[in-house]
Amino acid sequence: MKAFLSALTLSFCVASAFGQEQAAQPVVSSVKHATDGHVWGALIFATNQADQLTGAKEPEYSDLPRLHERLARVFPFKHFEILGQHRQDIFREYESWVVPSRELFMKIDSKGPADKGGVNLHLQVWREHQVLVKSDAVLRKDSPLFIGGPPWKDGRLIFVLFLERK
Amino acid sequence: MPASASTDPGEVSDLDLVKRSQTGDTRAFDVLVTRYRGRIYAMTYHLIQNETEAWDLAQEAFIKAWRALPTFKHDAGFYTWLYRIAHNVSYDWLRKKKIQGDGEFDDERTEHRIAAGAEAAPRGDLAPDTALRNAELGQRIQEAIAKLSPEHRQVIVLREVEGLAYEEIAALIPCSLGTVMSRLFYARKKLQEQLHDVYETSL
Amino acid sequence: MKHPSEEHDLVRWIDGEMNEAERATFEERFKHEPALATEARTMRAMSASLRAHLPAEMRVPHADYFNTQIEVRITQIALDEARAKQGGTGWSAALQWLRQPWFALAGTAALAVVGFVLLYPDTNGASESVILSSFAPNTHVQARTYHDSGAEATVLMLDGLDAVPAERKVSGINIQRSEVEPELASTTMFNGQGTAVLMISRDALGNHLISPH
Repeated sequence: MKAFLSALTLSFCVASAFGQEQAAQPVVSSVKHATDGHVWGALIFATNQADQLTGAKEPEYSDLPRLHERLARVFPFKHFEILGQHRQDIFREYESWVVPSRELFMKIDSKGPADKGGVNLHLQVWREHQVLVKSDAVLRKDSPLFIGGPPWKDGRLIFVLFLERK
Repeated sequence: MPASASTDPGEVSDLDLVKRSQTGDTRAFDVLVTRYRGRIYAMTYHLIQNETEAWDLAQEAFIKAWRALPTFKHDAGFYTWLYRIAHNVSYDWLRKKKIQGDGEFDDERTEHRIAAGAEAAPRGDLAPDTALRNAELGQRIQEAIAKLSPEHRQVIVLREVEGLAYEEIAALIPCSLGTVMSRLFYARKKLQEQLHDVYETSL
Repeated sequence: MKHPSEEHDLVRWIDGEMNEAERATFEERFKHEPALATEARTMRAMSASLRAHLPAEMRVPHADYFNTQIEVRITQIALDEARAKQGGTGWSAALQWLRQPWFALAGTAALAVVGFVLLYPDTNGASESVILSSFAPNTHVQARTYHDSGAEATVLMLDGLDAVPAERKVSGINIQRSEVEPELASTTMFNGQGTAVLMISRDALGNHLISPH
């Protein structure tokens, strides 16, 4: 399948969370769109080398308990660093993007509710301008999805997707 | 009506496959998918102008058709019925995404006329690089179509790709015959603007 | 049917929808209106070119996967409907699916879905996330999926991906909210302070663009 996003530019700046001189832009409320759930997505860097950690100061995510411990059961690494995180509505009528990082991000199309508050999803994991994998999934509460991504330095990038209780 | 794929004497007919699908036979439905996926994908691709989305929408069309099988009455051909579903799925998606035509032809603008004396036939000479020119022309055509509004893209695909009669296009959209012809006219004018150098005589 | 406007006449002439008399009358105008003649012939040539370059049938990329995905989805639909009818969960309900008429008629991929669901039927306790199917366009990449009960997570492992260069600075973003503008086909994403940090939109070709806000 031919690569697209040929005009993609990813030279955005990450707005610093603290000590910003400029005032935050006013939040513009828009029309509420129907949703089929709310997800938390994160990009994690897993490594055994503490000196390779980036120093990202992302807060821990309290709704997904023991995340590091659970990741360690699947991926053979000692350190798990949250590089970025994104909380996102899953729109019923439109595609939803989960972009914790420009390196690895996800497009989600809802296929409607599943039982027990779950949701049927069509997922596409993207790396810059290429689709790495397409998947049909049922995402259920308290049951995260761990996606093993590309190697980086001596470790690995991992994408975590979690259906929030909202 | 869009022409159905002709059935070889040894092939199972659409009617048989549909009846079996209606009882829940997914393997029979799989044969129908294989039989018509090329036509359906082509239609969604020409409308959507994006390979990945067209692929997903073509799938959606078949899944919608599966869900709607209980309502299929066998009075029209299966492909005609499937085609209508696929068209509606694609066109609804297109309208939702509101991909705007760039430089949409405006009735109030001076009509763009091709220079007098321009050669009618496209440059179809027999130069050794004809294949390359054909590929380039194909690419230019795709790009020009991508710039059309959903409404104009729709009539071009239905007429030039599917070969539907004006009445069939009007019934599918739905709109009046006059609207079909007007949209065809302006869509072709728009395309002509994009592609005018292809059809001009080299002086 | 007579259509008086010149635009409609032109369209009908290009498409061969005029009868003999109409065509003769229209073409008679070419002698005295060279601009019309040029426009008509050019448009007709372009129309022919469109038909030549817009095939009515195209090869579907990853055709087998295309079919498999459909089979998986419609099997899932059938399972959901059966479950809704019979209610309840657990093995007794799951085994009843074996008696459904469509089960015997399901294709291979569909049986895999049924098998997976039978192995992991819903219970009264927590239900797991499920990967029903996955496909990696790059043939060097293998996608494996399983549920790790110790991690209480469903895993999708992608093996064979090219490594990110070690010198690349991989950084993250913190997005707390996004807003969709359907008319613009765009999504704007905001951090916890309400500052817009990212926008995803589409270009005229429908390709996605990610841009700084």
